[in-house]
Amino acid sequence: MFKKFENAVRKGIESSAKRRLILLATLIAFILSILMIAPSKMVLAKMLPGKNNDTFNIYTTLANGSSVEQTKRVTDCVVEQLQREDEVLDIEVFLGMGAPLDFAGLIKGSHFKNSEHEAEIVLNLTKKHDRSEPSYMMVQRIRPLIIKNCASIYEGTVVSFVEPPAGPPVLAAVVAEIYGSDADGIRELSNRVSEVFKKTDGLVDVDVMQDDIYDKFEIQVNSTKVARSGVSVKQLNDIIYLAFEGMEISVKNSDIYNDQIPIYLSLSRESKRFSSKDLNSVKAKLASLKLMNAQGMMIPITELVSIYPKKSNPLIMSKNLHQMTNVVAETDMVSQVYPLMQARDTIIDTFSDKYLIEKIGLFNLELTDKESKKVYKLMWDGEMEVTLDTFVELGAAFIAALILIFLLMVIYYKSYTLSGIILLGSFLSIIGVIVGHWIMDIFTTDTFFLTATSLIGFIALIGISSRNSLLLIDFTKSLMNEKAMTKADAIAHAAATRAKPIFLTAAAIILASTLLAGDAVFGGLGVALIFGTIAAVVASLIVVPVLLYNADLERHFNLDKQHIDSQA
Amino acid sequence: MNNLKPYKPNDWAGKLACGFLRNPLTIVLGIFLLSIGYLSLMIMPREENPQMVVSGSTVIVALPGASAAEIQKVIVQPLERKLKEVKGVEHIMGTAMDNVGVVNAAFFIGEAKEDSNLKIYDKIMQNSDIFPKGAMNPIIKPLDIDVDIPVVSVAFYSNNKEMSKTELYDRVKNIQHHINGLKNVAVTELKGGNKTQFNIEVDLNKLSGYNLSMGQIVQAVQSLSYSVPAVKNRTDDNKIIMVGVKNAIESAKDIENIIVAQYMGSTIQLGQVARVEKSYDIQNFKSVQISVRDENGEFTALRDQVTLTVSKLQGTNAVVIADAVKSELETYKSTLKEDGISYVITRNDGERANEAVNELVFHLILSIVIIAILLALVLGWRESLIVTFTVPAILAITLFVAYLTGQTINRITLFAFLLSLGLLVDAAIIVIENIHRHYYDKESAHCDADNLIVRATDEIGPPTNIATLAIIMTMVPMAFVGQMMGQFMKPIPANVPVALIASLFVAYIFTPYLAVRMLKRPDFSKEGSN
Repeated sequence: MFKKFENAVRKGIESSAKRRLILLATLIAFILSILMIAPSKMVLAKMLPGKNNDTFNIYTTLANGSSVEQTKRVTDCVVEQLQREDEVLDIEVFLGMGAPLDFAGLIKGSHFKNSEHEAEIVLNLTKKHDRSEPSYMMVQRIRPLIIKNCASIYEGTVVSFVEPPAGPPVLAAVVAEIYGSDADGIRELSNRVSEVFKKTDGLVDVDVMQDDIYDKFEIQVNSTKVARSGVSVKQLNDIIYLAFEGMEISVKNSDIYNDQIPIYLSLSRESKRFSSKDLNSVKAKLASLKLMNAQGMMIPITELVSIYPKKSNPLIMSKNLHQMTNVVAETDMVSQVYPLMQARDTIIDTFSDKYLIEKIGLFNLELTDKESKKVYKLMWDGEMEVTLDTFVELGAAFIAALILIFLLMVIYYKSYTLSGIILLGSFLSIIGVIVGHWIMDIFTTDTFFLTATSLIGFIALIGISSRNSLLLIDFTKSLMNEKAMTKADAIAHAAATRAKPIFLTAAAIILASTLLAGDAVFGGLGVALIFGTIAAVVASLIVVPVLLYNADLERHFNLDKQHIDSQA
Repeated sequence: MNNLKPYKPNDWAGKLACGFLRNPLTIVLGIFLLSIGYLSLMIMPREENPQMVVSGSTVIVALPGASAAEIQKVIVQPLERKLKEVKGVEHIMGTAMDNVGVVNAAFFIGEAKEDSNLKIYDKIMQNSDIFPKGAMNPIIKPLDIDVDIPVVSVAFYSNNKEMSKTELYDRVKNIQHHINGLKNVAVTELKGGNKTQFNIEVDLNKLSGYNLSMGQIVQAVQSLSYSVPAVKNRTDDNKIIMVGVKNAIESAKDIENIIVAQYMGSTIQLGQVARVEKSYDIQNFKSVQISVRDENGEFTALRDQVTLTVSKLQGTNAVVIADAVKSELETYKSTLKEDGISYVITRNDGERANEAVNELVFHLILSIVIIAILLALVLGWRESLIVTFTVPAILAITLFVAYLTGQTINRITLFAFLLSLGLLVDAAIIVIENIHRHYYDKESAHCDADNLIVRATDEIGPPTNIATLAIIMTMVPMAFVGQMMGQFMKPIPANVPVALIASLFVAYIFTPYLAVRMLKRPDFSKEGSN
């Protein structure tokens, strides 16, 4: 069998037509595989795919100023929906606070949650081995149901589904940072961007990370009246706070209980409620609250203050000293890259009515208000930023690996041509990596992404395929050197003899990687190794011999000099 | 021997093979390697995901009464500028809201945690004069992934509807203390539940009816709840007598009886204008509920629960801690049950990590078996057995080195092993294949087996060395990938090169050693000599 292969290789490299055919076919395969990624989108890129978890969280956030009772109504609704699921083991609701912290929550600021309009729901599922539906498919299925039934109870409710990430956690899949110098302009622009996100396919759980502005009342102290009545502003503030919010006015130590027992004072729940949300009922309630001055006279609070309706002050966010607001969205089982590009295109097309749009950097935008001339910036962050960084850095690592191998080969062979052949041979494994992903995508139900782990596999592949070429060249060299074979004979014989260990090691890699291919996160690496190794074997047994034949081996192996010596 | 002269190895591959081929200590070395590898696998801490060094601090400064815009100007912006001076800070996030400003400094991934925390603390303390008048002391909260993220959480809930809201909390709080005492447990926290509290709820109508102010009530209560230490005095014959002053407030009744005002001889007691109760903290809007499946598999209605979270110290084994918590809880199970309290473990990272690790170890073994079968088919079962032995030896060395460098066993470490598995059998395969080729080569039939094996090993030494070096070269740049992803993937560049170097040594030492004892030379050698 190896004899046949040896003859085939010899025929292949000796006829110039066949040589050209092999090289041309390689080139076409290479170009086609590159085309599969970029313009045709046959192979989609994503940092890491979804992971099948035994647990996930649901964050519910109502409009600012909502009460905990309103929040509970929404979470009750969500829990009711979840209770219909067969695979759910238990459901926990954390009202007014974040759930016990996890990796995703740490980045999403779950531990800072401390208000009545926020809640988190944690649910545990049955073990993933006993469950047919992966958690990400379950999330995709129940998300529309819950949003439809529960998020519609109160306007401005955002329900988002947070799964433990497969890799490092990010704030959200898509984050648009809107920078600007005035709060109103940022607010208007970020609301428009969030509208675009909501209409973009594949984007879900859209949220603007800003406070909603709601109505409130402000008590203004009339300082002249306060001074005349013989009370202090502090006393006034304290009494108002004490009456409606309540305060721990004292404590009692106890050896039975685990904490000090506070003594808490407040108006009773029934008597402190305002009858309705308007100015008159606030005034009426405050009128019955009295202060005692130094002379022991009782003064109603309304005598000392005036009350105005007011809008709330939303919080102001800044990042790296620039005022900004985040618009975040999660992706629904797709890579964030493509919806993001789509949303960006929509922004460029539709925002031109008000803004002058300029592209800055790779994907970022600069928007200038046509009337006020104020400048806003839209920067992408979140998973997009991490993906870009990771792919760029892994790409750099890949190039660095190529250079290192090239230098190593130059040191070993003292020939640029031979080192170039090895490098070229190993670079060809990219054909296998990309085609492999395309084939896997056809055979799997959900999208099979080209991920960061695929890239790592690819980097490892360069080493593996350069090892193949190296063993081949080394053997050719010793054949020509010791047995004085002709170039074609030596190459063919070396290819045939080395074919067995090359096949063996390749088979070992492929078999070791098949188990990886099934894993959600490492699948990319497995597929890259399997198909990349196949391509590498083909490259080192067919393409590398052809390239070797084209090179002036005698000179590169320093054989010509020896020949002259022996002749002399 | 009967040979002309022994083969002189040129490469260190041949030299290693030569040196260990007839050395009785080789087998001892083999057993030693396997045992340290096994020990490392057992004692190394297990985690699901690798530990990342994420440093950051949050500075919180309160200025009561200031609006968001004021806070932005007087607190957040000066603070942001100061934190910008700290080296190693990647992002600064400022949030200004009514009454309080929060600035969060996130360091570049991989910046040492202790240094970073100290830098921030130092910067704030040096510049405490930048804060405006009336601002409260800054609170600096460093981020600590190990301590902040619990590995175990347990939800306690009561099946007894009569149980008061505070009783569950108090019971769990007692258990918390014992759990916190377990080895390597860093922080335990309770979420949910209500604390005991005396509530004085004043009726606004009665208050104005009696013409009282809230201030009077505060004064009256505070003046009575004052405690002093016991008074010490001496008798005439110098014996010490202690006189304790009992706190005037012992029960809700005592508070009700507090006199808040006197009008023309008649007293007004607190109970007349307010409802006083010893109950739970009514001002706490936070609550935690749980719904679990009952015996019939149906969900119970949401009921109040208290969640106990447990986090571990850095570098300790989550699996061991989770098991310790579990068995500690078992000891309370029966007493809790009597009171109608049940618990359910809602998070167990130890178990999760153990499952992930065991699954991957299983995959690893399966891969080794598959490769062994493949080699048995192509090279023969003896050769296959030799290569299969080298794999655990290489993994053992790699595990031991990983243990020495303070790594943990996690998904990515094992993923690095799986990745290197295909690579690390290569060296052994190449050596064994060359020995095999020489054994079956008629030309070398007259040679002595020892010499033949050393020569076969020596022959492929240089290309194998350089090829392995090439693969190591590809892994080196990966160690310099920064950001989260770089940190996350760090076990790959850290372990794959070690495994590859180990694979060379094992291939040159053990493959010839085993080959000379296990492989059979074909018959034609005898025919040839005849």
